[in-house]
Amino acid sequence: MLIEDVFSSRGRVKILRILAEIVELNISEIARRAGLNYTTTNQHLQALESFGLVRHKRFGRIRIFRFNEGNPRADMIKKLIESFEEANE
Amino acid sequence: MHRYTSVFKDESKLDINYVPPRLPHRKPQLNLLNQFFRFAIESPGKMAQRILISGKIGSGKTVLSQHFGMDIEKEAQERGINLHYVHVNCRECRGSLFMILQRVILRFYPNFPRRGYSAEELLQMLMQILDERSAYLILAMDELGALILNEGSDPLYNLTRINEDRLKAPQRLSLICILREPEYLDMLDSSTKSTLKRNIILLGEYSKLQLRDILNDRVALAFSYGTVSEQIVELIAELAASEEGDARYAIELLWRSGKYADASASPRIFPEYVRKAAVSVYPMVRKDMISSLGLHEKLFLLAVASHFKQTEAAYISMGEAEDVYAIVCEDYDEKKRGHTQLWKYVKELSALGIIKTESSGFRKRGKTTLISLPRVPASDLEQELSRILYAKKR
Repeated sequence: MLIEDVFSSRGRVKILRILAEIVELNISEIARRAGLNYTTTNQHLQALESFGLVRHKRFGRIRIFRFNEGNPRADMIKKLIESFEEANE
Repeated sequence: MHRYTSVFKDESKLDINYVPPRLPHRKPQLNLLNQFFRFAIESPGKMAQRILISGKIGSGKTVLSQHFGMDIEKEAQERGINLHYVHVNCRECRGSLFMILQRVILRFYPNFPRRGYSAEELLQMLMQILDERSAYLILAMDELGALILNEGSDPLYNLTRINEDRLKAPQRLSLICILREPEYLDMLDSSTKSTLKRNIILLGEYSKLQLRDILNDRVALAFSYGTVSEQIVELIAELAASEEGDARYAIELLWRSGKYADASASPRIFPEYVRKAAVSVYPMVRKDMISSLGLHEKLFLLAVASHFKQTEAAYISMGEAEDVYAIVCEDYDEKKRGHTQLWKYVKELSALGIIKTESSGFRKRGKTTLISLPRVPASDLEQELSRILYAKKR
């Protein structure tokens, strides 16, 4: 995984920021908050999941995504976003 | 300089949702409840329990259950058991199993999607969540009558069956059913009914002396020292005892009396304030009851109330009521509901005791339902409804 792959697009970064803030969310809601469509959101999430940065839990038809805590890179990115947002306030 | 003073020390202690640290005269019932759920602490997952708490309005059903819930959650936590107590009011959930389960799941996942699945799926998801967290749940369903009336016996059947389907797995879901009128039980299937009938906790009316103890507790919690005399407590207990020992009514009287004292800038509550309060609280129709009605039930009731305010007639026929209701709907920019739906509302409102219905009998031509307002002055009801509806509109 290259770092430029993680931060390659606005959408992807937005999704990471939303997950850092809300913790757990389903795809439709992530898409709505990020202003992306479902398919794009799904693709980003799949990419992020393949990097090991996020993981999901399935309830019937619903998938709920969250940061993959315990993965050092995921924790690093989450911290980065949090401190960045704090500095913004 | 004039300083604003109040007889209250902490008004929130008189709120209907407040759970006091002590439940006077409900100790035996609390012990019984603890006995029923002993297994949840000693051998969690070995079995699931179904309990019914029944009693008249203001007999302490809700507070008993909530008190128990707080205690058992605490005890479980001390023993390292992941046990949750969730209290849901079925009427606030409009008698829908879906909404009841959703409220439960939102406790575990605050951002769970709000729609897109059935009640059955939701129940499966709940069990999955409990399994994943190896958690146990005691679900208290208050005002269960609303659920039974709306969805029949299926929801309770499904809730009890979900454990039976998973014989080998730990039993994670227990139920406390809270029901004012045990007659609703007859609408359930026989297996659910028999379980509930075996595990029943009946709460009787409070006596005047018992009400006095309850009031004294609340006075100590909510009022500044010396603002409420023994006599006042006695008077309120007397009034509430004559209303079938309704403790909630007693507490509301106490609160309103305090409000009248504050409004008159009095340092103490005088009997006159209690009398004023008694006139302003109608025991059968309480704010919480009215605010938990659906929008169109409120509109319909508003129509009936404003009709009675304008005329001297004691009854309004169903047809007339529908016409007035149609006008009210226009005022509030709402699409009016059809006859059958209104008929259901009338039945519900009359079951709640807000309105009274009787058949006109066969008069010269046809038969209709006559609606009357037995206990509440129409103007007060109209005022209260307009206030709630106006707040919503904004």
